[in-house]
Amino acid sequence: MDFRWEQEYLEFRDELVGFLRAWRTPELLAEYDRGEGTPGPAMRSFYEALDARGWMRMCWPVEYGGEGRDPLYRFIFIETMEYWGMPYGDLTFTSVAPTLIAFGSETQKKKYLPGIFKGEVRFALGYSEPNAGTDLASLRTQAMRAGDDWIIQGQKIWTSLAESSTHIWLAARTNPDGPKHQGISVFIVPVDAEGVSIRPLHTMSGLRTNETFYDGVRVPAENLVGPVDGGWNIVMYALNFERVGLAAVGDLAREFDLFVAYLKERRPELLDDPVTRTRLAELKVDLHRQRALATRNAHAIASGGIGIGEASMAKVHGSELRYRFSNTAMDLLGRYGALSEESGALAPIDGGMELTWRMSPILRFGGGTNEVQRTIIATRHLGMPR
Amino acid sequence: MDLELTETQTIFRDTIRKFLEEEVPFSRVRELEKQQRSDEALWATLGAQGWLGVALPEEADEGGLIEAGLLVEEVQRRAALVPVAEAISCAVTLQRHGSRERAPELVERILSGEMTVVPAILESVDRFGEVAAEVNDDGLLSGEKFFVDYASIATHHLVAAQCRGAVGLYLVDRGQSQIETTSTPTLGRTPAAHVRYQNASAEQLCGEDGHAFLIQFARVLCAVQALSCMQVALEMSVAYTSIREQFGQLIGTFQAVQHHAADMAIDTESTRFLVYETLDALDRGEASEEQVAVAKAAASRAVPEVVMLAQQLHGGQGFIEENDLYFFTLRGKERSLAWGTTEECLALIGRSVEAPERWL
Ligand SMILES: Cc1cc2nc3c(=O)[nH]c(=O)nc-3n(C[C@H](O)[C@H](O)[C@H](O)COP(=O)(O)OP(=O)(O)OC[C@H]3O[C@@H](n4cnc5c(N)ncnc54)[C@H](O)[C@@H]3O)c2cc1C
Repeated sequence: MDFRWEQEYLEFRDELVGFLRAWRTPELLAEYDRGEGTPGPAMRSFYEALDARGWMRMCWPVEYGGEGRDPLYRFIFIETMEYWGMPYGDLTFTSVAPTLIAFGSETQKKKYLPGIFKGEVRFALGYSEPNAGTDLASLRTQAMRAGDDWIIQGQKIWTSLAESSTHIWLAARTNPDGPKHQGISVFIVPVDAEGVSIRPLHTMSGLRTNETFYDGVRVPAENLVGPVDGGWNIVMYALNFERVGLAAVGDLAREFDLFVAYLKERRPELLDDPVTRTRLAELKVDLHRQRALATRNAHAIASGGIGIGEASMAKVHGSELRYRFSNTAMDLLGRYGALSEESGALAPIDGGMELTWRMSPILRFGGGTNEVQRTIIATRHLGMPR
Repeated sequence: MDLELTETQTIFRDTIRKFLEEEVPFSRVRELEKQQRSDEALWATLGAQGWLGVALPEEADEGGLIEAGLLVEEVQRRAALVPVAEAISCAVTLQRHGSRERAPELVERILSGEMTVVPAILESVDRFGEVAAEVNDDGLLSGEKFFVDYASIATHHLVAAQCRGAVGLYLVDRGQSQIETTSTPTLGRTPAAHVRYQNASAEQLCGEDGHAFLIQFARVLCAVQALSCMQVALEMSVAYTSIREQFGQLIGTFQAVQHHAADMAIDTESTRFLVYETLDALDRGEASEEQVAVAKAAASRAVPEVVMLAQQLHGGQGFIEENDLYFFTLRGKERSLAWGTTEECLALIGRSVEAPERWL
């Protein structure tokens, strides 16, 4: 055993950190914070600089603009970006693009990938339906063949970012008769296609998401991704990429550091209290546990394994920790801990803990609910009887 | 011993519940919340119809602190934006510890809703024992108070301040220009403010004992509010998992879901007992600071766990503001922090762990 990172990884990390220090301007952070979906000028030039270095796609095959590096680079990249709270492309970049590379036709790759690099093509993910959440395979939105086209009819829910996207990455039923996993296909649906409508849903985290409706939406056959009825594997592949970011420890580690720095500067009497120190120590142990699980998962993937159990463990522990961490931090801050960003200078860390607490449910039930993840750990990882 | 509500108490609870269900649709609370306002119409009705008086009845068997708890719990079930807990804690404090000449009249005016009085205790550092606000020899009060709930709609604040080192409670008319309130939006979305007093005229109504009692009583009522949020979150979760289907079956039939609900029930039931037991003891003048801290620590610790499990069992549905769950999630955590966090209460309990405990 040798737990040390090889020199080349550390060099990459240092280079990336140096780059981020230079680019992490207040304008960029303000723009990113507003989270409007369509990048503004500061974010556009940042993405350009990032793209010029090829870091977002360095693990992709050379023929699609990548460098074919091993997935541990991707892990370091994501962890570092998360720690510094910098944008690194949303799910279009982290999930749709690699899935297109794996399953898309040559025409699709030529048509969409360059636009994805430039931020001109942006996808919203249309998987969930009102009656197909955890049980995603029972989705009912239908796509019917009509000559050279497909006609789509149905409803999706939680189609986040649809309002600022150019396309929807849609899972639809193409075979209502067979086993449910074997009758699903993936389509690329332009948001402005006739028959697509969007209704906003406002969440308690402040994030907007949407219901999307498809009323006789016609798309050409070339918008089908992969084989007819072969969409389930594609969706699972894309979801795996989506989950890589979920288990990251980086942003929690940053919040921990910010929290301690805040206490040191503004509430020294709290930091002197041995109880506070014990709570912080407990959180620190948990952060290291998360680092262990996330690193193990990345290593399993890089070694060519599937890492199903590892991914689930990191996802469950990371999302539970997000709640526990923000909950404890708020308790330590007392009522100050509940002040939201609108309270201005009074709010500790700009209301960061309160916001993390409010957002924490998403990751516990999103990306595969923790209940189902635990079942996966028990059955697929531990081999317990089903 | 009788662990059930009396018949009168049950009728009282059911009547107020029915009244509030009709009077306060959640859509109205949403609207007020957006405008950062309180429910002035409901507040006027509660006063005019005499609901507030239940804590201080003329006859001992017509009410008391248990009834006050029931009222606070029911109001919280509707997430209603009215300072019931605040006003009742001030009224009871004045009645028990206020100046003999002034208290009876003031209590009556508070309970009829004519005056709205809210406590203003906490200062820049979140500790209840420390009072820096000062009253000078001319009876003018200066200082800052944080997290004053409903500060801007109250007609008066009951302010903890010291005069020549002696701590007391002072009635301050909010109408004076010597008072500046700045709203401090919080997670719970109930109106709260930071208040600055600069030579505000103030009238002393209680001494140190009143100050101490107010904190204890407000702390238990706050635990009642937390309990109420847990109770509703639990009920909503049981109802939702009994109608939502995935994989061709009700999600409430999955063991993982049932175990979460069972944990929520354990938290809620144990908290309910401790909180009402403490109210009962407080009513009889027998509650120690430690007993109050145990009840609040139990509530403060349990409420975020319960509301977050409710979120988990609701999946995406519970996360949108069209669903009513968020009221209880956000208000619940806010109440967990108000009037003594888990950590503060644990510290209090920890100080006296070696004192012999009467377990029976
Ligand atoms: C803010 C937000 C953004 C989102 N963005 C997107 C998006 O962009 N695209 C998209 O397609 N989706 C999106 N989602 C949807 C998200 O992935 C779903 O909410 C998630 O899959 C859970 O489904 P559900 O909400 O229907 O919950 P349900 O499936 O109804 O689950 C409710 C509860 O039942 C439990 N349960 C269900 N089945 C079992 C079982 N077999 N065993 C034990 N327990 C079980 C769950 O664990 C959970 O606790 C988003 C959701 C939110 C809230």
